[in-house]
Amino acid sequence: MGEHQLDAVLSAVADPTRRAILDRLRAGDARVTDLASAFPISLNSTSKHIKVLERAELVHREVRGRDHVLSLRAEALGEAVAWMQQYREFWEQRLEALEAFVLAGDAGETGDAAAGASGPEASGTEPSDGGAR
Amino acid sequence: MTAAVTVSRRIAASAERLFDAWLDPAAIAQWMRRDDSGRPSVVVSDPRVGGTYSITMIDRFGENVHVGAYRVIDRPRELEFTWRSEHTVGIDSVVRVTFEPDGDGTVVEVHHTRLPDAAAAAVHEAGWTELLGRLERTMNGMEAA
Repeated sequence: MGEHQLDAVLSAVADPTRRAILDRLRAGDARVTDLASAFPISLNSTSKHIKVLERAELVHREVRGRDHVLSLRAEALGEAVAWMQQYREFWEQRLEALEAFVLAGDAGETGDAAAGASGPEASGTEPSDGGAR
Repeated sequence: MTAAVTVSRRIAASAERLFDAWLDPAAIAQWMRRDDSGRPSVVVSDPRVGGTYSITMIDRFGENVHVGAYRVIDRPRELEFTWRSEHTVGIDSVVRVTFEPDGDGTVVEVHHTRLPDAAAAAVHEAGWTELLGRLERTMNGMEAA
């Protein structure tokens, strides 16, 4: 998933109505008309929300005859979780580096200082398109 | 999982020493950087309340610019600043760092809050936590495979 796609997911789930739609779809597939009647908003407004969810690839629409049936595609949310998790890893690695930096300084101005500051970082493996930055 | 990310680490150094390493541009350049380039970050910092900073981390994908402003500078106990990058979807998140003396060392705790409202809202929603947790496990499983 690219950055733009992640942005789309985060924007999509920022809205309470869209979260409610996703929550409803967790229980099972639903027709657009069912969703419109389940929420205190117009069919037109519901359609707009659904389009946002479709663009974020959180919802899949299948046309069955006259019905438009929506189903949840939860994979994209996993990216949002990964995005949060990357921040945890980012700060854990930074605190390790802080420790190495400070302890290297305590040891005096020896040749260890530079290696100590970068040593713990070298073992980290990064996701292919980078972690939280 | 919660909307905020909290990590902590006990480090065998004084709170003053650690606190200063968060504000001194030369120190930040050394430890606040991406893992894989070995190159120090480029840091510009005006460490006073209301002052701003920028940290440009360099990795194999290019440069990542982080900017923010200092909100609390209470040496050597607490530091708080805003944190914005393209990865925070262009909005300010808030990083609060506390320094708690612990024997001959200090527990440094980082609370990263107000991560983009969207992600925060998603994980706040009751019922979503379970789903997100399951997705996370699934994802981790795939990564491990």
